[in-house]
Amino acid sequence: MTDTLTRNRIETLAPTDHISLEPPTADKRGYIEFLLDLLVGAGRVEDRETALQALLAREEETTTGVGMGIGIPHAQTDAVTEPSVAVTRSDDGVDFGAMDDEPARLLFMILVPESGADDHLAILSTLSRALMHDEVRQNLYDAETPDDVQAVLKEAVA
Amino acid sequence: MSSELERVVTVVPEAGLHARPAATFVETVTDADSDVQIAHATDDDDDLTPAASMIAVTSLGVEHGEEIRIVADGPDAAATLDALERVLTTPEDELGGENATATDADATTDTNA
Repeated sequence: MTDTLTRNRIETLAPTDHISLEPPTADKRGYIEFLLDLLVGAGRVEDRETALQALLAREEETTTGVGMGIGIPHAQTDAVTEPSVAVTRSDDGVDFGAMDDEPARLLFMILVPESGADDHLAILSTLSRALMHDEVRQNLYDAETPDDVQAVLKEAVA
Repeated sequence: MSSELERVVTVVPEAGLHARPAATFVETVTDADSDVQIAHATDDDDDLTPAASMIAVTSLGVEHGEEIRIVADGPDAAATLDALERVLTTPEDELGGENATATDADATTDTNA
């Protein structure tokens, strides 16, 4: 069984400059690039193109639209310097090809270095477990600032 | 006739129950007529989570070599467990796009078990 994340880890994984509540109107690919650019802007990604190809290859395998209005594009790549999470939201929802056909309204990107398989799974499972709760999703919809989003995530993983 | 059956299966794919194996697993569940729930083999009944939900399956964080418990309740419970066990015990690189999905579940084992 994978470990869970602690509250403190959220601050390292997803500092507020990884969180944007002002995404452009875009399709799935556009959202993936937007989330990636948050991590690029924060200095977490050394090679944008390699990271993007890893993310798209993962989507090619099967979609990261996990249902319940959530998309979690993710990849393990050495294009990233440390485990990182980016967050954004789509008011209208973006088609992530989820099995339940629900468009994704909450979007999380996870990038972890190649050596961090356990960490990768821990972040993915912890986020998923938190997001299954209606209240957590609602609080994320209601969040007005990146600080609010981070606070909800910290509370949700605790 | 409805019957509840359960089985403990060791997860073979290298990346665990994740990505394509997880998607194939969930598709197999959604195509079955039985209700299916899963949990780590060491968990209590309270921890059983709906196996037809990708996010629920992802939330378990099942790793390679880990044992998971599958509970199926419905007319095709036995066939569904067989199909799911096949998904979980097939190395990822042998897991073809269509080969292991639930269409197989209908065609394989009898449902009178």
